Amino acid sequence: MVMIGDATPAIRVERLAKRYGRVEALKNVSFDVREGEIMGFLGLNGAGKTTTIRILLDLVRPTAGRAFVFGLDCHTRGLDARARIGYLPGELGFYGDMTGEATLAVLARLSGRAIDMRLQRELLDRLELSPRDLRRRVREYSTGMKRKLGIVQAFQADPPLLILDEPTEGLDPLMQEAVYQLLSDTRRRGRTVFMSSHVLPEVERVCDRIGLVRQGELVLASPVDEVRRLAARSVRVLFNEDVQSSGAAWPEGCEVLELAPRAWSLRVHGALGPLVAMVSSMPVQDIEVREPRLEDVVKRYYRDEAAS
Amino acid sequence: MLVLVGHSLRRIRAALIVLGLLLAAFQFLLTQVAAYLMRQNAFGQLAELMPDFVRTAAGPSALGFMSYTGIVALGYFHPVIITALVGLMIAIATEPAGEVETRFVDLTLARPLRRLDVIARTLVVLVLAGGLMLALMVAGTWTGLTCCAPAQAERPSFGLVLSLAFSLATVMACWGGVALAIGSAARRRAVAGAVAGALALAAYLLDYLGRAWEPAFSMSRLSPFHYFEPMTLVMGQAFDARDAAMLLAIALAGTVAGCVTFSRRDI
Repeated sequence: MVMIGDATPAIRVERLAKRYGRVEALKNVSFDVREGEIMGFLGLNGAGKTTTIRILLDLVRPTAGRAFVFGLDCHTRGLDARARIGYLPGELGFYGDMTGEATLAVLARLSGRAIDMRLQRELLDRLELSPRDLRRRVREYSTGMKRKLGIVQAFQADPPLLILDEPTEGLDPLMQEAVYQLLSDTRRRGRTVFMSSHVLPEVERVCDRIGLVRQGELVLASPVDEVRRLAARSVRVLFNEDVQSSGAAWPEGCEVLELAPRAWSLRVHGALGPLVAMVSSMPVQDIEVREPRLEDVVKRYYRDEAAS
Repeated sequence: MLVLVGHSLRRIRAALIVLGLLLAAFQFLLTQVAAYLMRQNAFGQLAELMPDFVRTAAGPSALGFMSYTGIVALGYFHPVIITALVGLMIAIATEPAGEVETRFVDLTLARPLRRLDVIARTLVVLVLAGGLMLALMVAGTWTGLTCCAPAQAERPSFGLVLSLAFSLATVMACWGGVALAIGSAARRRAVAGAVAGALALAAYLLDYLGRAWEPAFSMSRLSPFHYFEPMTLVMGQAFDARDAAMLLAIALAGTVAGCVTFSRRDI
């Protein structure tokens, strides 16, 4: 008997490793995803995101380590684990000669959970897939429509865990917005979402935590706010008249980018107080502060990976 | 699993109906040809037209073939019919490879389905589709025999027609099993189909060579077609259960290999 409660994470990955011949796709990856949170899984192409997702679905068998969904081993209790998962693959393998309606019907019957037709209707309405669209063959669908159909099939059984591989790829900005809203509502209803994405502003907006894989290793797993704090704030101090840097020591955490007579560009780690105190006696016209973005941190990791 | 069976059958229903009707029509046509030759008293002339070396190579079965029953039974071992039916079995048995290739399997196996369900579905579809084809062939033959056989013709018994159909079923099962084993390991359906098809063709040619050229006879035992002897049934001999068992054993081995491979592979 497996207890599902606060103590059991929705996903637990323990020392996961996967080797394809001489290529190590995953190296000793461990992390948890708590129930009710949205975790973004980031990394460059080939970093190991999809391999991790496929191990969770028991489509790929790990070379070492184990993966659990709500405490259920993804391999030995795969049926029970997958009964709790809704999955949106990165590459959608719909049959082109089937209609959208028939595709949803087949996948609904295979899901092992009763489909709430009201929920399905609501999903279709939110993603603007009309009954007329559903009567068309999937081969006539645009990339975005296929992605929308994929989202509906993943969400329609209202599973407690959603695993989404690039959920907004190919969607227009309005539909992306609809998906963000859907994810937000899903979290509100206590569902857990584990999603991979390349769109960093999207991850920053919808995710509670992120995990970053680099060359098969998990190099970062933290709440988004904490990750953001790893980056410095950009500060631009504008003056009414020309000023000269006094030559005094800069406050701790201040990094000078550019010093022009009427504008200083700085990067500040930590509190702004010492910098404000320093310039308080100067003819300050304005101080512009740009909050750090997730992108700043993640791109730094990406650059490191590219360099290595 | 039944959902998958229904899904697969819906996808191939048009091909099954067309092929089944063509096969039934072909069997019916053969009964008409046999009746025509009987009325024209042409079997003797046909036998005389046969070159000596062919008659020698074929042995007494050549005479058996030049009869009303022989012509009616032709549809159960004609190379075109065997090609069509073995081709159908290969096409169905490689469906798992096709689903891996198109990634449809990602959508199905991400749900609470066992991998063995995918293979079991393919087996069920193989049995249903093969059974339907053979049933339509037997129906075509029997309709022709019932409505249009000349009064003086010695009509083949229903038991003989069923034996011929079962003999053909064992060949279909054998190649279905082989193709399933290949299709369970492959990532591309075209590759799996081509490999299974090439194997079947090579096996057919090897068997043909063994029948036509004495030194190759022992080698021809390696071919599954060596264990397919419909003419002995036409000649009145009893159904050889050992031949059928050999072909069904190959089918079983292929199926087991397919199950094990598909269960263990990365998808």
